[in-house]
Amino acid sequence: MVNKLAMPKSWNADTKPHKFCPGCGHGIVLKILGEIIDEVGIQNRLVFGVDIGCSLLAWDFFNVDTVQTHHGRTTPVMVGIKRANPDLLCIAYMGDGGGYAIGSQHLVNSAFRNEKIMAIVVNNCNYGMTGGQMAPTTLPGQKTETSPYGRDPETMGSPTLGPEMVAAIAPAGAYVARGSIGNVRQLKRFLKKAVENQIAGNGFSFVEVMSSCPTNWRTNAKQTWDYVEKEMSKYFKTGELRTPDEKREA
Amino acid sequence: MSKEFRNLHYESPKGYFNISPDLCKSCGLCKEKCPTDVLDWSKELGVYGSPIIEPVRIEQCTACGICQMVCPDAAILIEKKKKASKTA
Repeated sequence: MVNKLAMPKSWNADTKPHKFCPGCGHGIVLKILGEIIDEVGIQNRLVFGVDIGCSLLAWDFFNVDTVQTHHGRTTPVMVGIKRANPDLLCIAYMGDGGGYAIGSQHLVNSAFRNEKIMAIVVNNCNYGMTGGQMAPTTLPGQKTETSPYGRDPETMGSPTLGPEMVAAIAPAGAYVARGSIGNVRQLKRFLKKAVENQIAGNGFSFVEVMSSCPTNWRTNAKQTWDYVEKEMSKYFKTGELRTPDEKREA
Repeated sequence: MSKEFRNLHYESPKGYFNISPDLCKSCGLCKEKCPTDVLDWSKELGVYGSPIIEPVRIEQCTACGICQMVCPDAAILIEKKKKASKTA
C-alpha cells in the first residue's frame, strides 16, 4: 500500500518529502491549505505566490501555478495578477520577515485599497532561512542571533501585531484573523473563510499563522509546542479580528 | 511517473496506523501531541537517517487523528475502523 492518502490531492507528490526542516510549521499550514484547495475545488484557477525566505521553499509544493517574487513584493504581484484576470484566485504566502519587515508597505497599502486577494503570513518570530536573526515579530526577551541578550522593547521595539494593524485600516468586506498551528481545526476554519471571502469578492483576506522554527529556536518537540502554545500566545491572541459582515464606514 | 512511498501498517483496537519512512523526518511533533501517549521512537530509519515514529503502545490508540493533523510531512495516515452494526 502506498501512503499517499494523507497528502492533499493538490500536493505535488514528486517533490515530497518537502524541503522544510523537521518540525517546521510551514508543512502544517500548507497541508491545511492543500486540503482547502481540494475541498473548495479551486486548483485549476489558483495562483500561488511565494516570497523570499523559508516560504520560497514552497515553490514546487502544489500542482498549481506558482510565482516567486522579491522581498515582500508578493502582495503587489498577486494584486497585479488579480487585476489583470479577476477570475483567478491569488494567494500571497509570506513569512513574517517578508510580510512585516520588508513588505509591510505593500501589505498595508493593499489592505487599505481592499484588494480582492488573500495573504497568509506565517509568523515564527525570527528570520528562519538566514539563520535566526531578530525579526519584527521576535518576542520581548527572546534570544536570537542578533539579540543575544534577549529583545529589549526599550531599544528594539515591540513585536509587530500584523492582523491588528490590517484590521484597523482595512475597509468593509475585509477578513482578518490570526490562527495557530497548535489549534489545527480553528486554523483550517480561518483559512477556509479567507478563501471563501476571496471567492465572494468582498475584499482583502488576511490570515496570520503562529508557527514554529525548531531549528533556529533550538528547541525539541516538547519545547516547540510549549513555545508556540504558551509563550507566543501570551503576546499574539488568536481569533477573528474582522469579518466581511461587519458594518464599517469606508 | 509519480513517486511511491513505502508504508508501515499497524492495527489498533479502533483503527489502523500508517506511517511512511520515506516521509517521516523525526520531528516528534506527533509524539508530544498524542493524548494517550501511544507513539515513541522506532528502530526503523526515516528520510534523514533518524529514527521514525512507531506506535509502540498501540493498544492505547483511540484513532483520534491528532497525529495525522499535526504531521507537517503528511507521513501519518489514520484509518478508523467502521463500528460493527448492532444487528450483525
